[in-house]
Amino acid sequence: MFKKKVTLKILLLLIASDILETAVHFFFKKSTLSASQGQVTDLASAAVFFKVVFSSPFLWAGLLTVATVFILWSLILSKIDLSVAVPVASFSYILVPLVSIIFLQEKITAFRWLGVFFVLAGVILVSLSSKERMVQNK
Amino acid sequence: MKEGLLLVLFLIALTSLCDTINQLFLKSAIDSLNFTPTLNIIKIFKFIFQLIIKPRLWLGFVFSLISLGVWLVVLSKADLNFAFSADSMHYIFIALASRFVLKEKMGSWRWLGTGLIVVGIVFVSLS
Repeated sequence: MFKKKVTLKILLLLIASDILETAVHFFFKKSTLSASQGQVTDLASAAVFFKVVFSSPFLWAGLLTVATVFILWSLILSKIDLSVAVPVASFSYILVPLVSIIFLQEKITAFRWLGVFFVLAGVILVSLSSKERMVQNK
Repeated sequence: MKEGLLLVLFLIALTSLCDTINQLFLKSAIDSLNFTPTLNIIKIFKFIFQLIIKPRLWLGFVFSLISLGVWLVVLSKADLNFAFSADSMHYIFIALASRFVLKEKMGSWRWLGTGLIVVGIVFVSLS
């Protein structure tokens, strides 16, 4: 039942999904930067905001990447167990802050990195326990 | 952004909640079909067809659209690195929904993992 062996091919697919997942969030953030003038405070400003965001090519690049990640992820999960795939895929919790620093000029304090590692550890624990549950169901 | 922090956290909770509701509808639609994983292409297409004519699936889709819209508003107000980490609060909602709506069993390791995520989000928000 459990497919655990991470071959080089699966590892490359996982790394690709990590990078694409990070790209999704980068694209979405970029699309909202084009609407940075209009802050959403009421319905009318929300309409203006969405009009600007949905006319940004970054948003559509993001949506296209979401679809790609979905297909890639389905492929990965047909070959390997979720409890193995998720910890590797959680690498995006590190990649997103790095991309934020390099390409979006955001600042990240040491305390925030500590928080990121707690979240990462939590996600890995949750995904590892999926194995435990399926064994109990057998 | 201090004064906006609560608003942003509220919006992130909203987008996570919509996402969770979407997952619940999706799960309920898939469970109602009694599908067992197969490599038979015809069976897979039959499953996908049966799935897309389920109203529940589309109800979930509406929530995922709302989730996307709110998420874009969040990104316009907050740093990406903060929003991305804080968005993992959907793990908390999914855990609670799995336990209390779907009546799934949760092992102690999973509760511990969910707890660590909570601590992480608090740290990320405070900095």
